[in-house]
Amino acid sequence: MTATAGQGAPLARPVRRLSWSWLGLLPFFLFAIFFIGAPITYLVIGSFQDKTGQTTLQNYADLATPSISNAFLTSIEVSLVTAVIGGIFGFLLAYAVILGGLPRVLRDALMTFSGVASNFAGVPLALAFIFTLGQLGMITVWLKGIGINPYQSGFTIYSKIGLELVYLYFQFPLMVLIIAPAIDGLRPEWREAAENMGASSRQYWQKVALPILFPTILGTIILLFGNAFGAQATAYQLTSGLIPLVPLLIGNQIAGDVLHNPGLGYAMAMGMVFIMAGSIIVYTVLQRRAERWRR
Amino acid sequence: MKRRRGGIAWWLVFLLAVLYFFLPLVATLDFALKAKPPFSAFTNAVQDPKFFSSLLYSLVIGVLTIVASLSLIVPTAYWVQLKVPRARSLVEFVTLLPFVIPAVVLVFGLIRVYSQPPLPFTHTDIGSSALLVAGYIVLSLPYMYRAVDTGLRAIDIRSLTEAAQSMGAGWVTIIWRVILPNLRVALLSGAFLTLAIVLGEFTIANFLARPAFGPYLNLLSQQKAYEPAAVALISFGLTWLAMIAIAFIGRDTRTRIEIGGAH
Amino acid sequence: MEFDPTKQRARARALGLIAAAGLLAAACTPAASTAPSAATPTEAAGSPAASEPAASVDPMADLIAAAQAEGMLTTIALPDDWCNYAGVIQGFKDKYNVPVTVLDPGASSGVEIEAIKANMNNPGPQAPDVVDVGFSFGEDNKDLFLPYKVATWDTIPEAAKSADGNWYGDYYGVMSFETNTAIQPDPPKDWSDLTDPKYKGQIALDGDPRASNQAIQAVYASALANGGSLDNAQPGLDFWKQIVDADNFVPVDANPGTIVQGATPVAMRWSYNGLAHRDATAGNPLIDVTIPASGRFGGVYVQAISKYAPHPNAAKLWMEYLYSDEGQLLWLKGYCNPIRYEDMVKRNVVPADLAARLPDTTGAVFPTPAQLAAATKLITEGWDKTTGATEITIPK
Repeated sequence: MTATAGQGAPLARPVRRLSWSWLGLLPFFLFAIFFIGAPITYLVIGSFQDKTGQTTLQNYADLATPSISNAFLTSIEVSLVTAVIGGIFGFLLAYAVILGGLPRVLRDALMTFSGVASNFAGVPLALAFIFTLGQLGMITVWLKGIGINPYQSGFTIYSKIGLELVYLYFQFPLMVLIIAPAIDGLRPEWREAAENMGASSRQYWQKVALPILFPTILGTIILLFGNAFGAQATAYQLTSGLIPLVPLLIGNQIAGDVLHNPGLGYAMAMGMVFIMAGSIIVYTVLQRRAERWRR
Repeated sequence: MKRRRGGIAWWLVFLLAVLYFFLPLVATLDFALKAKPPFSAFTNAVQDPKFFSSLLYSLVIGVLTIVASLSLIVPTAYWVQLKVPRARSLVEFVTLLPFVIPAVVLVFGLIRVYSQPPLPFTHTDIGSSALLVAGYIVLSLPYMYRAVDTGLRAIDIRSLTEAAQSMGAGWVTIIWRVILPNLRVALLSGAFLTLAIVLGEFTIANFLARPAFGPYLNLLSQQKAYEPAAVALISFGLTWLAMIAIAFIGRDTRTRIEIGGAH
Repeated sequence: MEFDPTKQRARARALGLIAAAGLLAAACTPAASTAPSAATPTEAAGSPAASEPAASVDPMADLIAAAQAEGMLTTIALPDDWCNYAGVIQGFKDKYNVPVTVLDPGASSGVEIEAIKANMNNPGPQAPDVVDVGFSFGEDNKDLFLPYKVATWDTIPEAAKSADGNWYGDYYGVMSFETNTAIQPDPPKDWSDLTDPKYKGQIALDGDPRASNQAIQAVYASALANGGSLDNAQPGLDFWKQIVDADNFVPVDANPGTIVQGATPVAMRWSYNGLAHRDATAGNPLIDVTIPASGRFGGVYVQAISKYAPHPNAAKLWMEYLYSDEGQLLWLKGYCNPIRYEDMVKRNVVPADLAARLPDTTGAVFPTPAQLAAATKLITEGWDKTTGATEITIPK
């Protein structure tokens, strides 16, 4: 982590030098233009069209209607909650197997399992949870057998909380997989050095480990946020669209069974693009603050 | 130097996780076994020769996607961190875009553009498969980028680069022989995530009329009750096996000299 | 810096080999569709190949030859056990030796239309030749269809086809109650039963009532038994509010899995879906399918050929097959009422055993496209407001 002064610092160099560096990113941007740009272009153009193909701004105006704005708020809420909880517990889980002293084989098992679980979503996941915690679910029945009826106390898997519980199934593993290299990168020497200087465990975390890990944790939480934000099939199976979420509404317009207004769907997707952009901005700001604090 | 033994707290965390992850799988298995005869749902799935051919196809596509994706992302993430930090926000924004494009929109957008000259990918089999790989690179972009970026942050790429350059290495050598070996864990994570996506993906493979595993599995579960549960578990198990295979290939065979410590 | 050059090279070689093998395998792997898409490329770039071959002795033989020359038919959204499409497709393949590709069996009507639009310039196997969509999709999308009148055109009821031949009804079913008798031994017999306390937390729709055909038409159907009519679907919404208020509604998408497991023991589904499912479970568990005593609602689906079909002759041959007696009877085997049923009964071509399997659907009414559109709009917009369904609580 030694900062080599002068290397790559563009301040003293002429502007021309900067633009040459950007060339190195050309393959990436070319790929993006070719394969992300094409669908996005249709999204953008389509969002300005109504059902008959005429240009209109009505779709964007419709974004403000209560049902749609409600869907945006709910989507953001669910995504944020599962991103943060997924981030925290995922981090703890990864730490447990990497630096927590558990046997090595458990780490490998967790990493490979996380690979699979991170993509276990949609109908099979929703059904798995219905089979577990639904009214006739395995656990529900078992709990009733020992005298506890969760549904009595108002719990139901078919709710926002239930949905969040289900979403965590792919959020935890995602966090584990992404944060693993960062935890791996925490050299034990730093911990020993800190302890040699008399730091307690908490101080080590506060002054050494967390500041180092912060940008990565933050970036991964944004990833988890986006991951949950775009999820749709799971929610549809679990609550048949009753909990208003943006991807569900988009699906209704674009790929539903009834007369639809794809333009509105595309406009909603553009809304999601803006929210993603917003999350990047928030992330950048928070990250810059943290860097300043680190120095 | 103290050897850090597994504290109770960490064991607890791990066990809670095991419970949370396995109970739904057990419930699914319990349900799938209710078919009569009990294993029919599973045997039905495996009997068809298309099971293996579609699995093979998806595995190949998966490997191609991983290789292509890494070739694109590792140099890019490296360059962003080393040379163009100002591009970071833009690059990360682009990597998050795949989340907001519904799969149906993605595949139809690709078909629209690439079904006619000048780039008629869909007119040939190879072209359609190539388009599929491109689609999967897009889908796995957020995860791959974040994994590689995390890995790069954990190592000191400036020093490594300077040292290599001082020994006369060119950019390709630096990335290939200096940076990549130090990204082992991150690359594995990225590979896991990508392969899981490819093996389970359905919409894009289906609308591109590709003989992939996802569409095949979906065909099995149409309008049936027990088969989807069995199919989900088979898919889960097979993907886990593939992960273990990748982990094995990418394992760290360097002998480590353990002088205590947590590693 | 730790790196092992030998290991690196070995790994690189391995990766390189895998990649090369992959490319080779992809090159050699036969496509899902065996059709050589380069052979006889029909003009797919938007030109409707509507012209029939010059009148010859047997136009059907010409059509068969042309279809076989095209070498493939691409269909979409045809699940195996929906109206016995598995049997229909196999029958077509066997009779005419034309391979059939099925894209996304689970696609919704909206996706089918999107697929046509996206593949306008694509002669490859991704472009659907024919579609089977909900009734309301026919007229609205007629610009995407190639007009074609099958040989048996005149025996299709007027109300179920477009005068220009753009789209034509294929089969219908009636909204029914599908019950898992292992969980609920006492299936409902009529709409009014649905508010009975014994069905607490058991009644479900197949899909989101704001977006799914089956769900919306279930609500529409209930209007008929509650003082509404084909022109007035509001009583249906009000009735479902009663069901929700009685804590009988469970907001889960009813499909065979959830019905069998018990999450949605009483589901509103088309009669043919319920009956096919009953046969599939073969008593494990025992499924009961009951057509409601009052308020019998018929739902029609329509067939159409895509204007941009890469294989228009195969598509036409497909239609001829579907509307022949043989094709219609195969649908009947799947518990669907084929659209030419009345005509076939008159000519005595319906086997007695097949006819006996059909549930009694006398009195079923069918909405016109206009009525369906109006009711759909009412239901999709009014569901949230009327039922307050976003705050559902499951009964204790």
